[in-house]
Amino acid sequence: MSSSSSSISSDDEPNSNPKPVDDELSLASVTLNESNGNGSVNVNENENNRQDGGEIAWGRKNSEVEVEALSSPSSSGYAGERGSSSETTNSRIEDDEIQQVNNDDGFVDGVDHSRASSWVPGKRHVDEDDASISWRKRKKHFFILSHSGKPIYSRYGDEHKLAGFSATLQAIISFVENGGDHVKLVRAGNHQVIFLVKGPIYLVCISCTEEPYESLKGQLELIYGQMILILTKSVNRCFEKNPKFDMTPLLGGTDAVFSSLIHSFSWYPILTNVFVQVEKLDNFSVTGTHVTKTQSCGRNFQGSAKVDYCSSHQTVQASGPIGWNPATFLHAYTCLPLAYATRQAAGAILQDVADSGVLFALLMCKNKVISLVGAQKASLHPDDMLLLSNFVMSSESFRQVELILIDSTTSECFSPICLPRYNPMAFLYAYVHYFDDDTYLMLLTTSSDAFYHLKDCRIRIETVLLKSNVLSEVQRSLLEGGMRVEDLPLDPLPRSSISHRMSQQRLLTDSPERFRESSVGIGGPAGLWNFIYRSIYLDQYVSSEISSPINSHQQQKRLYRAYQKLYSSMHEKGIGPHRTQFRRDENYVLLCWVTPDFELYAAFDPLADKALAIKTCNRVCQWVKDVENEIFLQGASPFSW
Amino acid sequence: MASRRRMLLKVIILGDSGVGKTSLMNQYVNRKFSNQYKATIGADFLTKEVQFEDRLFTLQIWDTAGQERFQSLGVAFYRGADCCVLVYDVNVMKSFDNLNNWREEFLIQASPSDPENFPFVVLGNKIDVDGGNSRVVSEKKAKAWCASKGNIPYFETSAKEGFNVEAAFQCIAKNALKNEPEEEVYLPDTIDVGGGQQQRSSGCEC
Repeated sequence: MSSSSSSISSDDEPNSNPKPVDDELSLASVTLNESNGNGSVNVNENENNRQDGGEIAWGRKNSEVEVEALSSPSSSGYAGERGSSSETTNSRIEDDEIQQVNNDDGFVDGVDHSRASSWVPGKRHVDEDDASISWRKRKKHFFILSHSGKPIYSRYGDEHKLAGFSATLQAIISFVENGGDHVKLVRAGNHQVIFLVKGPIYLVCISCTEEPYESLKGQLELIYGQMILILTKSVNRCFEKNPKFDMTPLLGGTDAVFSSLIHSFSWYPILTNVFVQVEKLDNFSVTGTHVTKTQSCGRNFQGSAKVDYCSSHQTVQASGPIGWNPATFLHAYTCLPLAYATRQAAGAILQDVADSGVLFALLMCKNKVISLVGAQKASLHPDDMLLLSNFVMSSESFRQVELILIDSTTSECFSPICLPRYNPMAFLYAYVHYFDDDTYLMLLTTSSDAFYHLKDCRIRIETVLLKSNVLSEVQRSLLEGGMRVEDLPLDPLPRSSISHRMSQQRLLTDSPERFRESSVGIGGPAGLWNFIYRSIYLDQYVSSEISSPINSHQQQKRLYRAYQKLYSSMHEKGIGPHRTQFRRDENYVLLCWVTPDFELYAAFDPLADKALAIKTCNRVCQWVKDVENEIFLQGASPFSW
Repeated sequence: MASRRRMLLKVIILGDSGVGKTSLMNQYVNRKFSNQYKATIGADFLTKEVQFEDRLFTLQIWDTAGQERFQSLGVAFYRGADCCVLVYDVNVMKSFDNLNNWREEFLIQASPSDPENFPFVVLGNKIDVDGGNSRVVSEKKAKAWCASKGNIPYFETSAKEGFNVEAAFQCIAKNALKNEPEEEVYLPDTIDVGGGQQQRSSGCEC
């Protein structure tokens, strides 16, 4: 029995939990906020300790889920305690199966549907509840509940069927609060239970993804922010007036908004097998593949068939994961790469509109900014932009509403929204218009009767955008993708641009191109696979496109998590500021460099040479600097006021 | 989303230890009864879907521990309850006498907005024991107490035989529903940038 459990525990991740309590037989440790004491309390959920009057246990009758059930059967100690070794082995296999299913799940969704995002947002597995084995094996749960224990949202399963589970969570939170404490984190085997209390709203994440506590808490904060964006913090008043208040009707129809936000917390699984397919194809036959592929991932690229100059390489880039959204942990936004003049043209007309009483004007393509302008003294937080674009992109009605009376060919929407970082208490009004499947305009105002004014603004903007070819440039950029590690110049070029696109002539003769040819399939120079560059001053980041060494969904997701962990470790409170971090494991070399101006996160081949990797990072920074006018929104940033 | 919204009702079950709270709940939710006594620790949570007057409800039932050492959990448990079920054992006088304490304790800790009209239901359990011969609390006495507390509905039940349990919970659902406040229009503020201050459309945010 014990031998089996120890062999299982060796499969566990070696070093995710700094606390020794994890290895003990006590199944859950509660980390308390309080600074006195050692900050860690063990709650024994052992059956034998149940009758111990001083302890509290939370039993359930209609299912077996208890706090202890959060501990996975594969966790060390617990498995041996529980039952025979054969049972343990069985449940472990099952566990893996479910996790596999989970991953496939996203993939199937990824190719299955034909909407603007290849992954279709919405509730999954509604038939499940806490008694379902499949539900219990899901790797990451999110719950929103009220302070009376009434369920508000659950990522998986039906909220009403989970009412008992919700009550259990509330009981745990309230019990600790009764003692004047706050429960932040419970570790149970390889699961973490993270709690976030926001007045009368409780948020809980149960995860065995080994993401750092700070990352998961940040995700709960964003989910709360998303809720505020939809309802404002005035919901608190409803609870003050009536603790029984049931919030679910107010959030009616927003399942997709939450599920797509949660989805963006991890790397999107997109078209894994197509990557492989493309590798095998000849360059010349790729155009056709490209079109098929974009359609199969649900993106209806307008005019994609016309783009016949794209190489196999660009095809791969174009299918890069739109869900690759490091904004969820970087607290920065990213721009669609565009020629400086193009972005300027878009910015100018937005500025023009902003001067006529629009608070914020944003032109975006998927989750990337084309241009944005704020009225004087108004600043827009990157998190608000993330939540706003998620809300707009995941709500079908923004695309589909056809106001036939006004204009039969136009879809436009006017909706109250709240920007939690701007003012969590009050609504703004958002006018949303899609120019095409990916590109949309958002005009935010404080006036609830500004619809017609904003409509006029939109028409003006549209005219200018069409005249100056901004929209077609946007489509071009979308197809061609952004920075690719293969294009990293060997030597700093004088005033270079994102070479492959901005000047194709040069592309054919210059050395970066030759280098790229030789490096197809192995990533960039010195084994560079991927990078993220975050400009502190601009609140923006740029991330390189997926390169072929990380072409599987698993690899992408792993890299995403690795970045997340790296970010978290570089921003840990209480530890002095780190400048650099170099980390090598069996998957990659990760290099992080933090300065007052920027942060660079880079992933290399695990066998990459350290000195060369550092040199390459310097070159990446230089490259970013060389093309900053194309990849960043410069100058008119509302954040500089 | 369902066209007709489902409602979730939080129901708290209170009463001395051993009066049969857990058994009543088990009988109601799982249609099972066990003679074995297992003390509830803290609280158990069950859910049951009920149809009532053409509407679908989920009862979120909080089965609490009767022992005194768990009383301190009250505040955490009672908040936002839609209905409170008081249970006593018709064969134990003390458990009946304590109903008053349970009721008052609940009203203090849950502090509902309208304590006078908060929906309670009283259940006299274990009427099957010894063919009723060991009974010490008469139905008349129980009903008199219920009447004095604002006409609390009263049911005599047997968790063991399943007698009256369904009817009692139907009444619980009905009462919880009765107390549902009318829905108000949700109307948060709008930012007034020009004036530099916010308009208040309702209430005050403290």
